[in-house]
Amino acid sequence: MTAEKKPEILLVDDNPADLYLFREALGAGEVESLLTTVPDGEEAIAFLYRSGKFQSATRPDLVVLDLNLPRKDGRGVLANAKSDPNLRLIPIVVFSTSCSRTDIVDCYALGANCYVSKPGSLGDFRKAVQSIEHFWLRVARPSA
Amino acid sequence: MTQAGTAIAPALGTPVDTGPALRFLLLEDSDDDSELVTHQLKSGGFHFTSETVKTAEQFRQTVRTLRPDIILADYNLGEWRGMDALDILREESMDIPLILVTGALGEVTAVDCIKQGAADYVLKGGLTRLPLAIRRTLEDKRLREQRKHAEEELAAKVKELARSNRDLEQFAFVASHDLQEPLRMVAAYTQLLAERYRGKLDENADKYIGYAVEGALRMQALIRDMLAFCRVGRTASDRNHADCNAAVRAALLNLRATVEETGTVVTYHQLPFVAADPTQLIQLFQNLIGNAVKFHGKEKPLIRVSAERRDDKWQFAVADNGIGIAPEHKDVIFVIFQRLHARNEYEGNGLGLAICQKIVEQNGGKIWVESEAGHGSTFLFTLPARCERERA
Repeated sequence: MTAEKKPEILLVDDNPADLYLFREALGAGEVESLLTTVPDGEEAIAFLYRSGKFQSATRPDLVVLDLNLPRKDGRGVLANAKSDPNLRLIPIVVFSTSCSRTDIVDCYALGANCYVSKPGSLGDFRKAVQSIEHFWLRVARPSA
Repeated sequence: MTQAGTAIAPALGTPVDTGPALRFLLLEDSDDDSELVTHQLKSGGFHFTSETVKTAEQFRQTVRTLRPDIILADYNLGEWRGMDALDILREESMDIPLILVTGALGEVTAVDCIKQGAADYVLKGGLTRLPLAIRRTLEDKRLREQRKHAEEELAAKVKELARSNRDLEQFAFVASHDLQEPLRMVAAYTQLLAERYRGKLDENADKYIGYAVEGALRMQALIRDMLAFCRVGRTASDRNHADCNAAVRAALLNLRATVEETGTVVTYHQLPFVAADPTQLIQLFQNLIGNAVKFHGKEKPLIRVSAERRDDKWQFAVADNGIGIAPEHKDVIFVIFQRLHARNEYEGNGLGLAICQKIVEQNGGKIWVESEAGHGSTFLFTLPARCERERA
């Protein structure tokens, strides 16, 4: 990642209302980043492997992943990406409505870099998105 | 050798049994004695059929085909004993009462036979007692079966109730869980509306949006608490090494905003370890302390958490100087969704104390309240102390 290149986030979420909120929260954040969105797990994997319609995709600096997705769900994406020696270097933040203990533990077991529950109120949702962005794109050191 | 069964008419002047004929199986190697017993049955007023067998092999076969209601067995049958028939019945898994009809039998032997499972014994010298012994034995068996049937029915009902309870909890859990997602959309977007369009529409619009936001946030709190309530029963609790000091500290951290806002002072000193689920323990203290803060009186809220050892349990007290609870409400406050105050007086959804009760009971304790309206409340609950093995 060079100094002038904007960091890239891949957001995997099928809910347009959440995509909008996420984009809105990022826009108000401190880091200028590029946001790409895909609506399901299969497209997410295709994007990461730059296959099919994603031949010209660039490697994201961060993946933000919803759990309940059509076709391949978030667990499937984690299992796939975290068993690939190259893809496993990309941090994946699970961002889901569920606060169920089982979901959380399952995701960490599959290699999620962290698990954040989508907060219920608008203010807390924005704070959560901005702290994900701040931590993974500013505070944490990237692998590449 | 079997003697053909015949229905025999009772002698005159004796009670007559109605209903289907009773099936008697006689174990008797003396034909004369067999005759005597049959005669006694006849004059006893029984409506019956009977067969007589002599050897163990005959007994085994006849008991299978005849399925008698009662067995009358001689004690001494030459090569074997009437008591051996009980072993055969057990092998065949048949529950048929057996009365010993025997010559002189020592008292010790008689008691021993009863202990081994004979229903009664009648001496051949006192055969007139036989009808009474048979009636009593059959009545005992009927009662025993009735009780067994009732017990089985009860067990089935309990099982069914547990299953439907589990289904209901499962439904409540799944419904609450799945409601979170759409509700989050409603809450977030009504808030976004409020933020972007406040003052740009008209006064009514601001008010409507305000109500919508408030409703959505209240419903989120309700769903969060319903999930907490369901989880208490769902997750296997880890009942070990729970430090109550740490639990109270964590609870206070979660309540920091309201505690600071109201200037509440909470005191607690050297609380014990208990055998309880640590996560549930935090929730328990949080709900009780949270209530004490919420229902404060005119004075600054003072809350004291303490514990006393009571045998193998610790009894905790969370005491406050708040508005208190009228005696007639002491029990209903633990009922799910039960509230004592209008929403404009005190916020709440009536789940907090129901959760507390479920947590305490799940961990093997009891919860109750001592209070007087206007003079504060003390919530008391017990939890099992750590066992000695863990203390080491």
